[in-house]
Amino acid sequence: MSHHHDDDIFKLHTPDFDQLNKKLDRRTFLTKTTLGLGALAMGSLLGKELFGSTPKAAAGAGGLEADILKALPHFAPKAKRVVYLFMSGGPSQFETFDYKPGLEKLMGQNLPASVRQGQRLTGMSANQSALPIAPSIFKFNQHGETRTWVSELLPHTAAVVDDLCIVKSLYSEAINHDPAITFFQTGNQLPGRPSIGSWVSYGLGSDNNNLPTFIVLVSKNGQKDQPLYARLWGNGFLPSKHQGVQFRAGKDPVLYLNDPDGYDGKDRKEMLEYLTKLNQLQNSAYGDPEVEARISQYEMAYRMQTAVPEVMDMKDEPDEIFEMYGPDSRDPGTYAANCILARKLLEKDVKFVQLYHQGWDQHGNLPTAITTQCKATDQATAALIKDLKRRGLLEDTLVVWGGEFGRTVYSQGKLTATDYGRDHHPRCFTMWMAGAGVKAGLSYGETDDFSYNIVKDPVHVHDFQATLLYLMGIDHERLTYKFQGRRFRLTDVEGKIVKGILS
Amino acid sequence: MLLNIFTFAGRLHPLIVHLPIGFLLLAVLFDLLGYTKKYAHLRSAVPLTLLAGFVMAVLACVFGYMLSLSGDYDRTTLSHHKLAGIGLALIAGLLFLLTTRRFKAVYTVTPTLFSTLLVGLFGLMGYAGHQGGNLTHGSDYLTMAVLTYRERPKPTSVEQAMIYEDVVQPMLVKKCGQCHQPGKLKGNLSVQNLKSLLKGGKNGPAVVAGKPDESELYKRITMDPAHEKFMPADGKPPLAKKEVEIIHWWIEKAMAAEGAPIAALKDNAAIKPKVAAWLGLGGATAPEEENEAGIEQHINPDIPAAVDPGLVENLRRKGLMVRIMLQHPAMLDVTLPAGSGKSIGDIKDDLAKVGKNIIWLNLSDNNFSDTDLAFLGQLTNLEKLRLEKNPIADGISDHLAALKHLEAVNLNETRISAVCVNKLEKTQGVKRVYSWKTAAPQAAD
Repeated sequence: MSHHHDDDIFKLHTPDFDQLNKKLDRRTFLTKTTLGLGALAMGSLLGKELFGSTPKAAAGAGGLEADILKALPHFAPKAKRVVYLFMSGGPSQFETFDYKPGLEKLMGQNLPASVRQGQRLTGMSANQSALPIAPSIFKFNQHGETRTWVSELLPHTAAVVDDLCIVKSLYSEAINHDPAITFFQTGNQLPGRPSIGSWVSYGLGSDNNNLPTFIVLVSKNGQKDQPLYARLWGNGFLPSKHQGVQFRAGKDPVLYLNDPDGYDGKDRKEMLEYLTKLNQLQNSAYGDPEVEARISQYEMAYRMQTAVPEVMDMKDEPDEIFEMYGPDSRDPGTYAANCILARKLLEKDVKFVQLYHQGWDQHGNLPTAITTQCKATDQATAALIKDLKRRGLLEDTLVVWGGEFGRTVYSQGKLTATDYGRDHHPRCFTMWMAGAGVKAGLSYGETDDFSYNIVKDPVHVHDFQATLLYLMGIDHERLTYKFQGRRFRLTDVEGKIVKGILS
Repeated sequence: MLLNIFTFAGRLHPLIVHLPIGFLLLAVLFDLLGYTKKYAHLRSAVPLTLLAGFVMAVLACVFGYMLSLSGDYDRTTLSHHKLAGIGLALIAGLLFLLTTRRFKAVYTVTPTLFSTLLVGLFGLMGYAGHQGGNLTHGSDYLTMAVLTYRERPKPTSVEQAMIYEDVVQPMLVKKCGQCHQPGKLKGNLSVQNLKSLLKGGKNGPAVVAGKPDESELYKRITMDPAHEKFMPADGKPPLAKKEVEIIHWWIEKAMAAEGAPIAALKDNAAIKPKVAAWLGLGGATAPEEENEAGIEQHINPDIPAAVDPGLVENLRRKGLMVRIMLQHPAMLDVTLPAGSGKSIGDIKDDLAKVGKNIIWLNLSDNNFSDTDLAFLGQLTNLEKLRLEKNPIADGISDHLAALKHLEAVNLNETRISAVCVNKLEKTQGVKRVYSWKTAAPQAAD
């Protein structure tokens, strides 16, 4: 017997919706009561009393959520932790990993229309009279056993290139910073969805009871040309305990965590116990999950009062470590110092650590600016890989490096022998991953001779996200959260796992 | 509480409906018997019986309508039943009118015509009744197929299983039957039996023997799921990868035929395990869970399918972090927090109890010696082991000798030497041994 009537066409018949379908909707209600005007009148009079008190139906929503979480993990995970080095601003693929020697002969020539294929440009360069091809002024050399081409700007990264899985065929849909970075972090160009780290925290929970599952570190020494907002590591509609917690450099690493002056904190625990009781009392009447989140956050904050100073404390790190991560690493809050801190957090089994380093948005003056950027990040990035590797942590830690998009082959503004700029280019760019579950020493995907279009193995942002979740043991299609009547996931309705890079 | 009265009254429909049946049947009986001499007098009772039948039929219609509002019934069958029922009531009423004096004054129906109409009414009643039965019991409840149907015993081995009868046919009925069966026939196709598959639907035969790529059925289940012609439609559960492979094999190698035991067909080696898994046969290997991303993960078959949650809880109570890596089989990642202050005696037995489920284990920085760790040999499915920052000597390699699945051992900052590393890597086949800050030489950075 079928349950699929023509007039039921707007109803979903998967089991998840049974609860919803069973609740009497307005249309059914009216149909039933039109048998008599009296019935209609009476029905609407009694309607609220009859249907208003359906606590069972309300419990059903929690059931769906619990079922989704109970099924996790969906795969045997390869990675237990992730450290995501986000290069905010869009690092140029031309000066880093995507070697295009053929461009030197074409220097200054206009980008052929056959390559551009009428694709959109940003407002910043769309009105240029010419789009002159700008080859990288930096030299490339082959490194490692894999003989991988890496730019001279990244000598330290070049030394660990055999550990990297370089993907040259990433592409995005957004052409400007905020939508692009929001897309990368949350799977949607519009703000409001949970960040990758929040999804991971929600799906897999914590491996360390004293520290947050998702920790964010923002370099103080990146040029703040493009802003970062806390919503990039926000929990969106997921319970608020899954939001990324930013650790800052200096005396107050986590805001409002320190005891205020003149208070020794001795009766803090007792105070919190009373507060918890009060909150529970409140919650027994309201049943608001935010109250529960608040209770657990207070307890977490209390534990963090000991755990955070401990992990922020660098005095046990030997000089050799600071030498390895570079001179900046002694200055808390720099990218290099954050890399050491990231390693310490990973050692404590913090599941998702995300670093942000701004300043890669080189529309003009690129050669000078990118040199500064690379100097600030190259040594520490490579040191992090080496350090994790020798400690055996690369076994089950995934390292990700990349920005929100790439840059154009043509120069934005005037091209000279020593100077040029590059505009945003979402159609292809390079990222790399290293560690748990990905093939070391692999270069995946290819771009055309202009690094303008992808010619082999394209990897969409959603594909990257699906792969990251897969490595953590999550099927990106099955980790969903129901919000405002719709089930959401990180990869929206797209995303294919990039099987070619899995080890 | 009027609404509930409707539902209640609706549910009386199956009771009420038998009253007009009885009365109308009686009317037919009285009318026909009226032709005999002995019962000629019964004919005069026909109008009253008809009237009673009409009134009851109207009541049954009203109650039936109420029932149709609350229930979830097949729309087509319902409308057939509804029309037949209302028609029945109307015709019964009309026939009664024919017998009234007022009508007879205008026009008289001959007894033969009247009897014919009554018998026709009886036929209509039969039809309405059958539709009603289909509504409650399903359209396949009373069919000719029931007469000839014999249930096939479930095959106990792949060898004796028939590829069509035991595998493909039940598979198609399960996944496609909801829409493609007698009574529904979406696209005019039924998957009920081979004959109906070969006859096909509005796009021609569903299967072409030996040619999966020309078979409409195979094309529809393998196209891009986003395509509007993809089957099963409307987001109903699609066929699993394995099921698609079985259908492909059946069409290509078994020439889409019935009556063919798998054992008798050529090239059956590859398909046997898939069929076994589908049938839930095949000894130790339980039916695999379909990996929806289509990625093959090599999971050690010795890992027990489940783990006692009580034992896991026990470990957690003792301060160990237990991460569930996978539910089926139950794979655990266990970590004893660094500097926990626990002695090995506190945790050893609890770990051993779930020993076969522990796949990753981290006991680093807990002041354990290699003799403390002798029990690790019981954790036979270990793949990754972290023992760094413990006072461990070369003896540890002997304790790990039994661990066949061990891939990586972390012995950083321990007291081991090159001997131990060599033994683990060369003799015991451990792929990665970490020995940073030990006496063992390091590869140059």
